[in-house]
Amino acid sequence: MSNPLSDNDPNQEECQEDDMTPADLIAKLEEAWLNEKFSPELLANQAEVVECVMEQLTHMEANLQRVKKGDPKASIHRMEIDRIRFVLCSYLRSRLQKIEKFYPHVLEKEKSRSKGEPALLSPEEFAFAKEYAANTESHLKSVALSHMPPILQTLDMLKAVPAPCLDSFVFLRVKESQENILVEPETDDQREYVVDLEEGSQHLMRYRTIAPLISSGAAQLI
Amino acid sequence: MDPSEVEFLAEKELVKIIPNFNLDKLYLIGGDLGPFNPGLPLYVPVWLALNLKQRQKCRVVPPDWMDVEKLEEMRELERNAATFTPAPCPYYMELTKLLLNHASDNIPKADEIRTLVKDIWDTRIAKLRLSADSFITQQEAHAKLDNLTLMEINTIRGFLLESLNCMYKLRSNLQPGSSKGPLADY
Repeated sequence: MSNPLSDNDPNQEECQEDDMTPADLIAKLEEAWLNEKFSPELLANQAEVVECVMEQLTHMEANLQRVKKGDPKASIHRMEIDRIRFVLCSYLRSRLQKIEKFYPHVLEKEKSRSKGEPALLSPEEFAFAKEYAANTESHLKSVALSHMPPILQTLDMLKAVPAPCLDSFVFLRVKESQENILVEPETDDQREYVVDLEEGSQHLMRYRTIAPLISSGAAQLI
Repeated sequence: MDPSEVEFLAEKELVKIIPNFNLDKLYLIGGDLGPFNPGLPLYVPVWLALNLKQRQKCRVVPPDWMDVEKLEEMRELERNAATFTPAPCPYYMELTKLLLNHASDNIPKADEIRTLVKDIWDTRIAKLRLSADSFITQQEAHAKLDNLTLMEINTIRGFLLESLNCMYKLRSNLQPGSSKGPLADY
């Protein structure tokens, strides 16, 4: 191991269950990032992708520790690490923003999830959501509710906090062709109709219609 | 989405450079690059190309489409067509800006290219505004947006989606009995 930067053969990494190269992994992370950025609701967490990317970053940083100062390769590797870290942080941050915005609904969904379904939140995000909910509620209680007549002191957070608007329009690119997607009419005097989504085509339509395609990976929000 | 984030995505595109230094193959997380030999052209991501260029370690070769004749042809095509013609490159606006700002000395007729790309962009954005207008007045529920680039979608995203949501909210309040519980705030 004369040069620590040459021995990180991508195929020797641990997170290779589905024959994913690190490049595929980064592409997956970017896809998850864009989907999360543009979808009105919180999507299922990509724990595996996040974990593997973290592992790649730590591994690369450990290698960089061993490099001599002034190696021109190191600066290029650092730039790449910074770029990947930016995507990762932005992804996690946009999830936290949505958790803060919709926490009663997120927690409700997570509670009603049946066993075997993939978790919506990572354990850390779940802890964050619970704590955020407890703090918000106790704050509301001490600042306002406790000074109100007893009859007005109950507060249903599920009703008080707006739910994500699944009828928002989104832009998407189709990755696997889909047939007969039902488009609901905008007004009463229009009729519903079906469209075929060809691979590679781009569309503007309601999130509710295509939400299953996003979670299955057949389409990508842009 | 912030325009700088679209630019960030554009920086992943590959561009040809001619390095003036020696460096072994690089094993990046996103794939292997190199080896770098003086005078031998190779493809690298734009982010790396611009970094090397700023340190005067390479010459950037402009992409094929970044050529006055080709762009003139595309401008004519774009002006005469009613719909969107395929863009020169999915990130043509961002790459033009990045490459011309940082490597204009390697690109022949840089000023002409800048004007041409701006012309193409303006024509396309004008079309985009028109189609957004008819999308809203006809109260459509679906639109196909082939050939639009991410930057173009991004310029109209905030305004268009917000207005569509507002109109949806107004309409669903008009129709009695169609209240769907509390909607997102704005």
